[in-house]
Amino acid sequence: MKSKKTEWFKGIYPALVTPFTADDQIDEVTYRQLIRFVLPHVNGVVPCGTTGEFSSMSLGEKQHTIEICLDEVAGSVPVLAGTGCQSTRETLELTAWAKEAGAAGALVVTPYFLKPAYNEVFDHYRQIDRIGLPLVLYNIPQCAGTHYRWWTAEGMGLAFDNVIGMKDSSGDMPFFMAALEKLRGTIGLFVGHDEVVGAALLAGADGAILASANLVPDLWQEIYQAAQRGDIEQVRQRQKEIQILTRIVVRKGGPQAAKEGLRMMGVTNMSNVRLPMIQGGEFEREDYEDLRSQLENLGKIGTQSVILDGQEVPYALPADITPTLQDLILCVGEGFAGPPFSEVAHIDLVLGKKDGPVGRALERARHETRPGHELALISERPLTMLVPTVTVRGEKARQLVYEEAANGITLALEHAITKHNLPAEILDSICLIANVFVHPAASIRQRVKINNYKAMRGAIRKALEGRPTIQELVAEKEAARHPFRYAP
Amino acid sequence: MTAKPFQPAGVNPALVTPFSRDQSVDEEAFRALIRHVLPDVDGLVPCGTTGEFNYLTPEENKWLVQIAVEESGGKPVIAGTGAPGTKLATELARSAQEVGATACLVVCPYFLHPSDKGVFQHYYTIAKALPDMPIILYNIPQVVDAYLPRRVVEDLADIPNIVGLKDSSGNLTYTMEILEYAGDRLNVLIGHDEVVLNALAGGASGMILASAQVYPATWQAILSAVKSGDLETARALQRCVQKLSRIFCRYGGGVAVKQALKMMDIDAGRPRSPLKSVGGALLHEDRAEIQLELEKLGLISHPGAEMRVLEGSLASRFESVGLDARAIESEKMRIGTAGAGDGVEAVQIDLVCGAKGGPAGEAWAYQLTYPRHGFEALTTILEPNLTVRPSTLIVPTNELKDLRQANMIYGPVQNAVARAIVDKLIEGVLPEHLAYTEVLLVQASIHPQALDRRILHRNTYQATCAALENAFTEVA
Repeated sequence: MKSKKTEWFKGIYPALVTPFTADDQIDEVTYRQLIRFVLPHVNGVVPCGTTGEFSSMSLGEKQHTIEICLDEVAGSVPVLAGTGCQSTRETLELTAWAKEAGAAGALVVTPYFLKPAYNEVFDHYRQIDRIGLPLVLYNIPQCAGTHYRWWTAEGMGLAFDNVIGMKDSSGDMPFFMAALEKLRGTIGLFVGHDEVVGAALLAGADGAILASANLVPDLWQEIYQAAQRGDIEQVRQRQKEIQILTRIVVRKGGPQAAKEGLRMMGVTNMSNVRLPMIQGGEFEREDYEDLRSQLENLGKIGTQSVILDGQEVPYALPADITPTLQDLILCVGEGFAGPPFSEVAHIDLVLGKKDGPVGRALERARHETRPGHELALISERPLTMLVPTVTVRGEKARQLVYEEAANGITLALEHAITKHNLPAEILDSICLIANVFVHPAASIRQRVKINNYKAMRGAIRKALEGRPTIQELVAEKEAARHPFRYAP
Repeated sequence: MTAKPFQPAGVNPALVTPFSRDQSVDEEAFRALIRHVLPDVDGLVPCGTTGEFNYLTPEENKWLVQIAVEESGGKPVIAGTGAPGTKLATELARSAQEVGATACLVVCPYFLHPSDKGVFQHYYTIAKALPDMPIILYNIPQVVDAYLPRRVVEDLADIPNIVGLKDSSGNLTYTMEILEYAGDRLNVLIGHDEVVLNALAGGASGMILASAQVYPATWQAILSAVKSGDLETARALQRCVQKLSRIFCRYGGGVAVKQALKMMDIDAGRPRSPLKSVGGALLHEDRAEIQLELEKLGLISHPGAEMRVLEGSLASRFESVGLDARAIESEKMRIGTAGAGDGVEAVQIDLVCGAKGGPAGEAWAYQLTYPRHGFEALTTILEPNLTVRPSTLIVPTNELKDLRQANMIYGPVQNAVARAIVDKLIEGVLPEHLAYTEVLLVQASIHPQALDRRILHRNTYQATCAALENAFTEVA
């Protein structure tokens, strides 16, 4: 079979998020800013992909978005436009338009919702192929509800003149290996599942179209380059560094995760997702804290100078948060983190000056005995008291609370200090009381520790920053789902 | 077609197997359990899924079937004799026949996933090896991870000693398909407690259920109501046991049934490892829910507790959270109180709001260090990671004696107080400038027997709104 691969379809392509204005139109200014942010590190861009929420956009909006993208990129890299729709008729219309508009190619998702049979999928693409624009097949069973079988992918890859590639977002490595076996060298094979990019590139993938390439296109480019020169160790190491970040983006509401991450990193006017996706939905608030920690670890969130307790101190603050911290009289922060359910951590944290109400409460408490609720001073600097929420019964519960949860919390304190979430300047003058819940069914010690670490990192930030804000509470008041409000 | 040798029907409990602390079978407990259920049932099913058959040795399996036969008083005994492999499944069925079982219940072979041909050959082999033993096919995809294929069932139904099919899938489209293609030759027994009425109305002959050892009389009543065409009565009865049936089906099966029996003073022992009595598939919270439902059904009695409400002048009600009337007056703290609802869902809310730098702040922080057993204070959240402003603690005034009571406070009450606060912020009743300068302490009085989460949520919301209005408008 002669190769239909093109020179341009390789490397790292971000699946661009779509910014919306306050009145829910396409936010052209921010979209251009996003494109300029990723452009130095990428081999191409994808407007109107899944991460771009194409399924929530009108035909006109998709055309407008693709036009802006083409204009901003101005030929510097190829634009692979998402043109897949539910029906063949609509897909034909948008793909033909994209050809005229000057897109390098079209990324066409499996027709979704109604589940066409394989031969119907095959004929759908046959019709799109006749337009003459280079086509990239797009398999994403998590959303489309239909998984290409390898024989369908092979059949379409071989049969259609204009199919130059396939993007596989399934994360199903046996499927991707079969596609490599049947089609490598004939069409370009891209991986679209951020968690398995390193593995796919080393197995022979030609590139990757990724949601997380909105956030860290530079790191993905390094991984791609390392794979091209056969530096396996480098691929493994860098993929490992961003594995948690990719897991959040892939599994916990990709578009919103990418958008909130971009806001933290400086694309400050980036909007939230469109309904029915919402802030605090699939991308939960605990994921926000986790993503923020990951971006801090990668050096993607810098420090700002803030006033805290009358002193100017450096503080790691996302670009979109106004740098006013709470006074240190009494700051409350709550942290909830999982999974799994039995090993969740739930921390009620109060932080304040030693010579204020928090310090006085702590001093009173430390001289009292509490059978079943023994208090533990788990850190001298900052002075931190651990209080078990529920009565501690038995040796296993004792270990989980006073060892695992306590270790997670002290590790969070250490990291908060070194990552500038807890400024060194105030450590001698404050104290913390952490009320810690460990479920009686908890078993996995490592998860109890890590979840308490995550909950505490979030709780410290939220206490100092006064989050959630009243605006956030008002926005989510109706939709909030309290897990114990309902009968089983 | 000649008549089948046995036609399974009626109400049949899938008996749990009681195990002692040392994991051995507790024979006496098993006999006592059978004696307890026998008057209300039409047959017995030892060694089913609920009976943890897959943790039993072949000897134990045979012995348990023998005990069931001895205790059955002549009622049919349908012995669970399933196994992943055909050889063992045949031996178990033969053993059951030797000790006098009426029929055997053979689960779809699991773990390795045989093809349709393999599944057919499994049942065919057992049926031909034991031509005088009636066999009931058993579809339970939740644990087998595969359906017993309808096209296989259709053909197996022609074998004279294959007499029925138990369908535990809960998937009524499957049940209807079986009735359509094999209903003329097999009796279908519903095995999913949540859809018993539906399956009986669709043509099932009876049931084999985990919950038929907890409330067999209810199932008998549903069965006779359906038979007499009284669907209204059958619906009402099914509705009564719906939640408990759901807990048994989805949260632990036999493990949950053992806990329910224990609450009813019937010693059903423990499960075998790796299952846990509680804290595994059955969480502590769901166990507490079983108790609540058994109380509702009248199968166990209420502890009969009274609701305690705070009394005396409003300013004097906050001493247990560390604020006396003098401090409240001298610091000009806002206080409010209101009640809502009646009966066991009645709620009273007493709240105090004061500057975070003063005694209110100190009391707030101290409460977090001092979780009094049964009166643990928690911050107020719309949902996890959405704490309200001003920072608010909820302190229960009635001792929380179990996780069921705790769930009422840390679920509906917590969310309702949070929503009331946010709504009063939006309305301006609670001035926004206080959101970061003051703290709130909310004492929540709810009845220890509160049952209905929706009503409790509504009453708590109303009482908190009224108490906030009381505190922030009248005193001003």
